[in-house]
Amino acid sequence: MSTIGCNEFLDQLELWMGGERSAGAQAHARGCARCGSLVADLDGIHQTAPSLAVADGEPPARIWIALRAKLEQEGLIHYERQGLTGVLRGWFGEVFTVVPRPALAGAYLMALVAVGVALTGPGQRRLNEDLWIHGTQVSTQPLSAQLDSAEQDAISSLTNSNPVVTASLQKNLAIVDNYIALCEKSVLDEPENEVARDYLYDAYQQKADLLAQISERGGDGR
Amino acid sequence: MVGNTAEAEDLTQEAFLQLFRKIATFRGESAFSTWLHRLAVNVVLMKLRKKSGKETSLEQVTEPDEEAGTPGRDFGGPDLRLTGSLDRVNLQRAVDQLPPGYKAVFVLHDVQGYEHNEIADMMGCSIGNSKSQLHKARMRLRDLLQEEVRAKAREDRRAAGSASGGED
Repeated sequence: MSTIGCNEFLDQLELWMGGERSAGAQAHARGCARCGSLVADLDGIHQTAPSLAVADGEPPARIWIALRAKLEQEGLIHYERQGLTGVLRGWFGEVFTVVPRPALAGAYLMALVAVGVALTGPGQRRLNEDLWIHGTQVSTQPLSAQLDSAEQDAISSLTNSNPVVTASLQKNLAIVDNYIALCEKSVLDEPENEVARDYLYDAYQQKADLLAQISERGGDGR
Repeated sequence: MVGNTAEAEDLTQEAFLQLFRKIATFRGESAFSTWLHRLAVNVVLMKLRKKSGKETSLEQVTEPDEEAGTPGRDFGGPDLRLTGSLDRVNLQRAVDQLPPGYKAVFVLHDVQGYEHNEIADMMGCSIGNSKSQLHKARMRLRDLLQEEVRAKAREDRRAAGSASGGED
């Protein structure tokens, strides 16, 4: 059987590792200690590699909190703003399901006229503000709830930590909470102010970061 | 791929952010999973490149790199399995030292079990390139593991020498 030299074997090594093994290469690997050792090492690396895989785990809650805050900040989450027409469409839709349409045709026309009058009246601005406030509450409620849940987890992880550090972290947490309360008030006072909303999301982000720090310290027992 | 939980968490967040930012650019030419994986791999590669301290293009990290350990012809050395150095910890340490392109292909193929055609899709390179990078990554890993064995042997000799010197 024809055999090959070390250099030729090395040229074929990539194919060898891919499973393409010529007769000459097989003969060489059997007869050459250095190439045999090289192949054994590469096989060993290939066989050991799967042990480096880490089990897929659910990322911690703080990632989703921080991600959501960031997406909100960048305006990448589009909440459905239920405007006046949406409110009316929903209301009339419900009415039409229970009352025959022809019977309501006249009443519908009258209602449209009434709405037209209402749109020009002083109550409209107040209604718009209410919708903005409602929209802000809808958009921040899940975030706020997630933060509350993460806060409970973080605080409970601090049980074995240094009391001085714990006190300091809790003090920082209280400061951030006050900041959030201020921002929430600003958003409620000026619901259409985009800057106020940005500050609020920033405040949530700060709290998420702080909770992440607390969790890490708690986990380390520091 | 980054070998660090905190960094992995940051990159997870960044990958999802990129997903939301770039979802409009998905044209349905490939499977969504492939597109998403490619996006995630790119996020990790960008991070690894920043960490390695030099800006390189995707072509550069997937092309042969002489400095990064193109397989040499001097392949003799201790058999890693015989010396017992080929274990999970040492291999992970060696993988951490691989250049970004080699590391990505090695982790995707040998650790996570992806096929070369999938890796080529994810990394935007040819199948041949993926195979070549994997081979070079394994050869480089062997070099790194052997260096470790030699360093340990030197350390042992030094320790033995100082111990016998102390007895005199």
